Amino acid sequence: MEFLLENILNLIGFLVGLAIGIMSFIGFRNTGSPTLFRLTIAFFSISLGFFVIWVGYMTEDFVIKSGNIEKWIQTLGIAIQTIGYFFIAFSHSIKSFFPKSTYFRSIGIFPLFLISSVQLEHIFRSISFILLAYGAIETMLSYFDNRKKGTISVAVGLALLALGEFLGWYSFLFPESILYYVSIIIKIAGLIALFIPVSKVPLTKIKFDEGLE
Amino acid sequence: MAEYRTHMKIIGDILVTTRDDLQDENGASVTYLIRKANISHSRISRILKTLVSQGLLEQIDSKGSNKYKISQSGREFLQAYYTFTNFADSFGLSI
Repeated sequence: MEFLLENILNLIGFLVGLAIGIMSFIGFRNTGSPTLFRLTIAFFSISLGFFVIWVGYMTEDFVIKSGNIEKWIQTLGIAIQTIGYFFIAFSHSIKSFFPKSTYFRSIGIFPLFLISSVQLEHIFRSISFILLAYGAIETMLSYFDNRKKGTISVAVGLALLALGEFLGWYSFLFPESILYYVSIIIKIAGLIALFIPVSKVPLTKIKFDEGLE
Repeated sequence: MAEYRTHMKIIGDILVTTRDDLQDENGASVTYLIRKANISHSRISRILKTLVSQGLLEQIDSKGSNKYKISQSGREFLQAYYTFTNFADSFGLSI
């Protein structure tokens, strides 16, 4: 059951991330907008992160068959997704994410070499949660300005992903509980909500750059 | 309070003016565009130079002064601009 749900989640995450990433890239190529460039990096990262975990599960399912996905693959996938979530939050003008002091910058990455991959996964999940919550709040605030249905859909999508990430992280405390399955289902709902406004973009009217054809 | 406009939004405003709000059939003068787009002379000069070099605007010499009209590429750019403005709006962002 866990493998099936994880496979569905990661496949949907890969496809939705890829679709939004391609859309953002087309927008960037046609307008040169830096915002669309940041969204391109964000959603290609998210897509790649889900893809890595999906490949991990598929390899486990059909090749290794040990019953558990390699922890480092899961950690790597979540880390790549976190980069994507960072760029979504960064697009909303995070100005003080990194410490300004060179000393703190230099030691900031040091603890990552001292902890196991399981702890790393917890750290990446909690960072993802913060970034997604930030993105959801900022998008919700934008909705109050522009009152567009697409904006509320993206805000709800990011909020559901944040909640799913939080429950996924919290479920480590209760390994055999239903929390983990609930978190996966909530994340799938979040990804679908993210995709709804993107699916309505009328790409047929756009004349693509020659390089894209 | 004045609304903050991104560089892209200013370009959009200039292209819309040269498409929908021309002074005459020869195009819009720099002074007219400054008033419509509400930006400084030095900034609009740089932007116009870029838009002409990118083929989005046509520069027409009219009675010793330059006038500007939107080109076909400019119209296509505006179409993409509107589409992806809506797309970015969905994420609560401005392009």
